[in-house]
Amino acid sequence: MIRNIKHRPGIIRVAKATISCVLAVTFIFSFGVRDTFGQRRFSRTYPAGKNVRLVLMNRSGMVTVTGWDRNEISISAYLELPAAQIAPQSLTDKIYINLVKDNQGRDVGSVNFEVRVPYEASVDIETTIGNLNVISVRGGLVRARINSDGDITLTNIGSATVAAENVTGNILFDGLIVDDGNYRFSSMQGRITLRIPFTASFRLVATAPSTRSIDLGTLGGGRMRLLSDGRRIVGQNGDGSAIISVTNQRGSIAFLKR
Amino acid sequence: MNCEECHQNLSVFLDNELDSGLSAAVQTHLALCPECAKLCADFAMILETCGESPTDDILPPNSQALWCRINNLIETEIKTTPEPVKKGWFSRGWNFTFSQVGAAAVGIVLISVLLTIVGLRNYFEPTADDFTSRSTASQTTFEKVLSKVGLVETPQQARERRFREQQVAIDYWTKRVALRRAQWDGRMRDAFDRNLYVIDESVNEYNRLLQSNPEDELSGEMLDAVMTEKMNLLRAFSDL
Repeated sequence: MIRNIKHRPGIIRVAKATISCVLAVTFIFSFGVRDTFGQRRFSRTYPAGKNVRLVLMNRSGMVTVTGWDRNEISISAYLELPAAQIAPQSLTDKIYINLVKDNQGRDVGSVNFEVRVPYEASVDIETTIGNLNVISVRGGLVRARINSDGDITLTNIGSATVAAENVTGNILFDGLIVDDGNYRFSSMQGRITLRIPFTASFRLVATAPSTRSIDLGTLGGGRMRLLSDGRRIVGQNGDGSAIISVTNQRGSIAFLKR
Repeated sequence: MNCEECHQNLSVFLDNELDSGLSAAVQTHLALCPECAKLCADFAMILETCGESPTDDILPPNSQALWCRINNLIETEIKTTPEPVKKGWFSRGWNFTFSQVGAAAVGIVLISVLLTIVGLRNYFEPTADDFTSRSTASQTTFEKVLSKVGLVETPQQARERRFREQQVAIDYWTKRVALRRAQWDGRMRDAFDRNLYVIDESVNEYNRLLQSNPEDELSGEMLDAVMTEKMNLLRAFSDL
């Protein structure tokens, strides 16, 4: 058989060419996969006081901020290619990351952040596209804003000032209503769900002008009243020390008991 | 000799420097005229006093201080002298008729009642919507009155003015976005177009509602919020 092949040089040339092609295609494809699906990882830890403030402005991608019982901030980022530039700034009582400014005019991939902050930290995060999650934080401020598509999920929050805004997407708030606190939730289209203690003390303005879909559950009893043909509900729960303002232009609003 | 001639010669007569003829005439007149006789007696007493007492005795211990007091008294009297009453509107106007006084009283009562109502309303007004935007419903009566007479702008006018301002800002950011848009990837472009469409739908809806009912303050408030949202969207994407 071997002798036969040796005596047939055309077959050998074909085999060599085939192997070369396969290797070449594999080589090229492997680089293509890396460019398309590959990720780079960024990781950094900063010492921080309990009342530190995290300010993070992302371009595209998911951001998850979770509270922990350590006096440090841990930032992990997974960068899709072409990789964005990340340059965190550690200022006095503040960690500042601005991917929009650092990558202005560049074509960069999404960046997914996983950040751990002290429980008492304040969190101010924003992105152009992507989901934002904040978990177990009870600092003075929690603010999450998505400039276009994306869901905002705020769970186990104990902050006195909370703001969540997006254009298209859902918003979920599951947390406490602190006395004298200020809570604002705003969306153009999607569903806003607030899971709060119904024993909390607050004044409420909930507005869903297009759908008129405002589900209070058992909240408020008879102290809530409809305004403007049912497009808005205004009322007071308890002493009314905190303020809750919910606006969903083309979506629904629902309250769940916590 | 009459009284006038007697007065003219009296001083010289008392000094014994008058000629005998005139002196006799004065004496005759004094005997006949009790008034001139009394005047002559007064003069005689003054001359006698001046002749008997030295000047130092009749001057006060501190004549300069006395003159100061006299000057002060004179100035005080000048100041307290009532000025002549000007013949103005009030001097003539106090002569109101009974009907005028009655009408004024009714006017004062009405204004007092109005101010009380406005004050009470403003005091008891804080409702749950006091932390949302202003509207005609939440306008005080006083503000409504001012709006009617054109001293302050109505909520509709304020809304239209704000709408124009927002539109100017939106035009600016739209131009910025047009310059940047070519650098975005397809996903960004899709997201921008999709969200802008959602916002514009709301803008059109509220404009329709406000055209049919300009008093719909909630739609005005929502339009304001949506325009702000549009501005934020444009600004965020123009920074990419």
